[in-house]
Amino acid sequence: MKSATRTPIGNSMTDKQQDTIDFGYQQVAKADKQKLVANVFQSVAQKYDLMNDLMSFGIHRLWKRYTIDCSGVRAGMRVLDIAGGTGDLTEQFARRVGASGEVVLADINDAMLAVGRDKLRNRGIVGNVRYVQANAEELPFADDSFDIITIAFGLRNVTDKQKALESMFRVLKPGGRLLVLEFSKPQPPLLSQAYDFYSFNVLPKMGQLVAGDADSYQYLAESIRMHPDQETLKSMMEQAGYAEVSYHNLTGGIVAMHRGYKF
Amino acid sequence: MLWAMLPTSLLETLLQQLLLLDPESQARLRKLDGKRLRLTLDDVGKAITISVNQQGLWLSWFDQEPVDCAIRSRLAVLPELREAANITRLIKADMLDIEGDPMLAQALSKLFAELDIDWPEQLAMRLGDVPAQLLVQTWQRSRQWLQQQRSDQRQWLRDALIEEQQLLPSTAEFSLFRSDVQALRARIDRLERQLSGWKG
Repeated sequence: MKSATRTPIGNSMTDKQQDTIDFGYQQVAKADKQKLVANVFQSVAQKYDLMNDLMSFGIHRLWKRYTIDCSGVRAGMRVLDIAGGTGDLTEQFARRVGASGEVVLADINDAMLAVGRDKLRNRGIVGNVRYVQANAEELPFADDSFDIITIAFGLRNVTDKQKALESMFRVLKPGGRLLVLEFSKPQPPLLSQAYDFYSFNVLPKMGQLVAGDADSYQYLAESIRMHPDQETLKSMMEQAGYAEVSYHNLTGGIVAMHRGYKF
Repeated sequence: MLWAMLPTSLLETLLQQLLLLDPESQARLRKLDGKRLRLTLDDVGKAITISVNQQGLWLSWFDQEPVDCAIRSRLAVLPELREAANITRLIKADMLDIEGDPMLAQALSKLFAELDIDWPEQLAMRLGDVPAQLLVQTWQRSRQWLQQQRSDQRQWLRDALIEEQQLLPSTAEFSLFRSDVQALRARIDRLERQLSGWKG
């Protein structure tokens, strides 16, 4: 991963006057964040699944499974999996929507998209999946196109999260739902301390050892801390137009699943 | 809550794999394509939703979308649902509550009851011909032995009951014996009363 110029920042997530934004704990020009995030994922794409299993002790599979269970997916539905990466959610959705439905795996990063496409094809997931390289802030789909939209562990990497939530709202069908699965703020103080220690001391070393890239996993830990907490994200979704927004903490709030509807 | 999903996922995978082992499953799944059933078990206090499509079936504890059939019952009652004749009786006895298509549960149960898996072939594909053959022969011999044992036990029980029956008194004999005992008890009572009269 290429390093960005480090500039210490306060708690604010964006500084519109300076047109800068957080990239982990660094403050970078808004225009650069997309490229920097792309570098991170370009670097970790090949080892992404393995690292997910190692870092979360496999629990990420249960978090994703919970998201799918809460999605109310049925045969024949159209699903958009944004920042779908290596296709964990897409694979499950594709099996559930069947031949009469469709899943669009969208990711801004071509390396992640290629890994996801190869993995799904090797597993026989063909026919009802489309692969689209797309920016979540400007989704290249018609209004009211999807029954379900998911974004799992992707929103924190988006430069303008509010704009992305609004873009998703636009392409969601009336009656459809958005599910955001993302790292959040652990609730029990003791868990929070242990999680901090693990994130900043163990994760980068694990990244160095397995993926040969400590910086990307340092960014992961920092970007999680800079991501809006449960209530803030809920407010952002409501501001974007979603109704009946609720969230559910998973594993003590390390991860939260937000759900909102378009009516 | 999260960990409760682990056994469900494993069960779902197991059911999917079983369905894949029978080529006829595809046709059966096609008939149930898009159907959804929710089973609320009062003893467990939770509802599981079963969704079917041509790819298989899916289990979920968190699905709250509308279903084609909703069943509320108890774990022990479920096996009885396989017989259509039991449904009315169970509903009248307040042991079962069904909303929607009542035949859907039976169709789902049939999906697995009608599975016809060629186990020797499946084992041969995974273990090789010789180990599979040995395993199948051992299994068949064990099953035959068990069946023989069960048959012998039944025969022994039947014989014992028949022999015992020959020694047992008939209903008429038992009735006669009981009236004799009652008559004897009445005579003893009379004698007791006479004895106490003489003493007095």
